[in-house]
Amino acid sequence: MTININVDENVMTAILDRLIPAVDNLPSAGQMGFTSEIVRLAGQQDRFKAIFNNAMHLFESHNPEFTSLASAEQDDALRRFEAESPDLFGALRTISYIVYYKDPKVHERIGWDGRTPQPDGNKMEPWDESVLENIRKREPFWRKA
Amino acid sequence: MTSNKGSREETVDVLVIGAGASGAAATAWLSEAGFKVKCLEQGFWQDPSKYASTSPDYEFEALTNWSSDPNKRQRDEDYPINVSDSPVSPVMFNGVGGSTILWSAHTPRFHPSDFSVKSLDGVADDWPLSYEDLEEYYDLNDEVMGCSGINGDPANPPRSPRQMPPLPLGSDGMRLIDAFEELGWHWWPSDSYINSQRYGEGRDACNFCGHNNMGCYQRAKSSTDLNYWPRALKSGAEIETGARVRRITTDKSGTATGADYIDSKGNERHQSARSVIMAANGVGTPRLLLNSSSDSHPDGLSNSSGLVGKNLMFHPFAMVTGVFPENMKTWRGPLSNFAMSQEFYETDESRGFVRGYTYQFQRSLGPAWIANGGFTDPIPWGEDHHTELSKRFGSMMGLAVIGEDLPEIHNTVDLDPELTDSDGIPAPRINYTVSKNSRDQLDHAIENARKVFETAGATDIYVDPLMRQSGWHLMGTARMGNDPVDSVVDKWGQSHDVDNLFIVDGSVFVTGAAVNPTPTIQALALRTADYIVSHRQDLKG
Ligand SMILES: Cc1cc2nc3c(=O)[nH]c(=O)nc-3n(C[C@H](O)[C@H](O)[C@H](O)COP(=O)(O)OP(=O)(O)OC[C@H]3O[C@@H](n4cnc5c(N)ncnc54)[C@H](O)[C@@H]3O)c2cc1C
Ligand code: SF4
Repeated sequence: MTININVDENVMTAILDRLIPAVDNLPSAGQMGFTSEIVRLAGQQDRFKAIFNNAMHLFESHNPEFTSLASAEQDDALRRFEAESPDLFGALRTISYIVYYKDPKVHERIGWDGRTPQPDGNKMEPWDESVLENIRKREPFWRKA
Repeated sequence: MTSNKGSREETVDVLVIGAGASGAAATAWLSEAGFKVKCLEQGFWQDPSKYASTSPDYEFEALTNWSSDPNKRQRDEDYPINVSDSPVSPVMFNGVGGSTILWSAHTPRFHPSDFSVKSLDGVADDWPLSYEDLEEYYDLNDEVMGCSGINGDPANPPRSPRQMPPLPLGSDGMRLIDAFEELGWHWWPSDSYINSQRYGEGRDACNFCGHNNMGCYQRAKSSTDLNYWPRALKSGAEIETGARVRRITTDKSGTATGADYIDSKGNERHQSARSVIMAANGVGTPRLLLNSSSDSHPDGLSNSSGLVGKNLMFHPFAMVTGVFPENMKTWRGPLSNFAMSQEFYETDESRGFVRGYTYQFQRSLGPAWIANGGFTDPIPWGEDHHTELSKRFGSMMGLAVIGEDLPEIHNTVDLDPELTDSDGIPAPRINYTVSKNSRDQLDHAIENARKVFETAGATDIYVDPLMRQSGWHLMGTARMGNDPVDSVVDKWGQSHDVDNLFIVDGSVFVTGAAVNPTPTIQALALRTADYIVSHRQDLKG
């Protein structure tokens, strides 16, 4: 199955702006230019792509003027969508968060080194047996059969 | 689709269905004992260097192509599962190594009391074997899989020295442990099949990346493609991947003769065998047995008791998460493998329920995982988003509750009348409800977990009273017992109805205990294989 992603990128950008607003020195997520990455990533699995397309089409059809609404009205539209179609809204939110938290500028702001989990991983401290001092004093309490 | 059904193929001594935790253990044992063994596995070999943990898109991959839920993963080798009548979805992986590719590798053992719940507590049934019967196989399995841990846990019988020291607890882990100590409650470093130092051929020490549930790039987490399978292949066993079994075949007398399967090119084939071992897990095995009905087995293979697919147990699973005021960098280290508490494991009727539960201590992962909820609700969008994210990121620890789920006849796996996999084989359908006893256990555990987090100084506490994506422990659907009227296999895993058919996966569990099941599944698989070696040389060609 191959499904083309066919969404109005202006709408996705406007949605991103409301989901993840500006903070400190960072603009809102739509203004950080994440829309095309969202569209690319959503295309990496047919099942997700279909849900993403459905979500966008439903949202756009219910909110044809979304990009020209005031911010508070945009929030109302998103809240309605979240309440009426939680799974579809959830797909938009999920991928928006994933793409936002991939960005090095975001990593820097939240104090996260942002590496992929492998190959470097993190440092493993040595095992310290002294932590068992108290619990070792407890008598066995397993039940005999 | 072409067919070779008419052509002659070589008959093997033992045909194993499924190359996961149990199938690998049984195959290695039998091939090392000189049996000619072949395994049919619907999935494929995995290359650890290509696991998603090296991809910049790993957070997306974890929810899609590497999800543990086959309904979300939807690879060609997966089969769909109808879960519309179950609050819990089975999760698994289909490939060489089976679900051990994605598992957490937290590996406690059953307690001696878990084998005698009827005698001790008057519920469910006793197992036809004891902890002592299984102990040597637990030890053998620990050695092959490689266990980090330490002897001396007061909640469990003494056991053989672990292969490696425990995984370190970290300052985040100590935060929870200090609270357990203050409350006077048991805790102990977990046994884990994760290398705390190099162990096994080509297997490195864990580098604390955190992401066990996407496969381990370091090969530090044990999975059977890394240990049992190399041994099995070295001793002459054969594995065919991309081979999806449709049904176990039988002759007129009802004896198993092999399996019909679809090979990786889409050809319908038959493999003949002098015996068959089912290792397709607690959902896959009943599915295949029910799909293997014949004149001699009209209700499905080995189903004269009517119990194939019945008594499904999952371990109902709740999660309590605490948010601490400091950023403890809780993304470092295996998510679920540092410690456990069995303070409330054994029955105490004053609690209002029988049997008990284990707490499995949890860390958390990176920012996108946190933002999307992790083990709690997603972080709100809009104005509060950034404040809430910085509160939770690096600061969340969890207590997972693994409650003992008693067998109930109405909790079932059967064949869906409409849904099929991509080869047209009927898909399994789950019908499951959480019993009152299980619910009472979970509620008790949630209240006590709150006390732990309050004692530890958490500022916010979140509760998921029953996680949906938590059907990782699949048990009970072809139970063992002495009486063919109320069990499917005997204490050796041999079918009561078909004397050359064996089951070695979690289907044979009589009860589920309150611990992760895989060491017990694998110990049982080794015991069955050992029985075949000592009692069924007649199966050798
Ligand atoms: C995310 C996750 C975390 C887990 N964490 C833990 C943990 O910490 N501790 C623990 O003890 N357990 C854990 N488990 C459970 C553990 O992985 C299983 O108990 C164990 O792998 C079961 O072994 P098995 O041999 O019965 O089945 P599996 O390992 O599931 O293997 C079954 C194999 O059979 C194959 N198969 C099925 N049907 C067919 C067919 N028709 N034709 C051909 N092949 C077929 C499948 O493809 C699969 O490879 C976890 C599981 C998951 C998914
Ligand atoms: S945390 Fe350790 S065991 Fe788990 S995937 Fe990372 S390196 Fe492997």
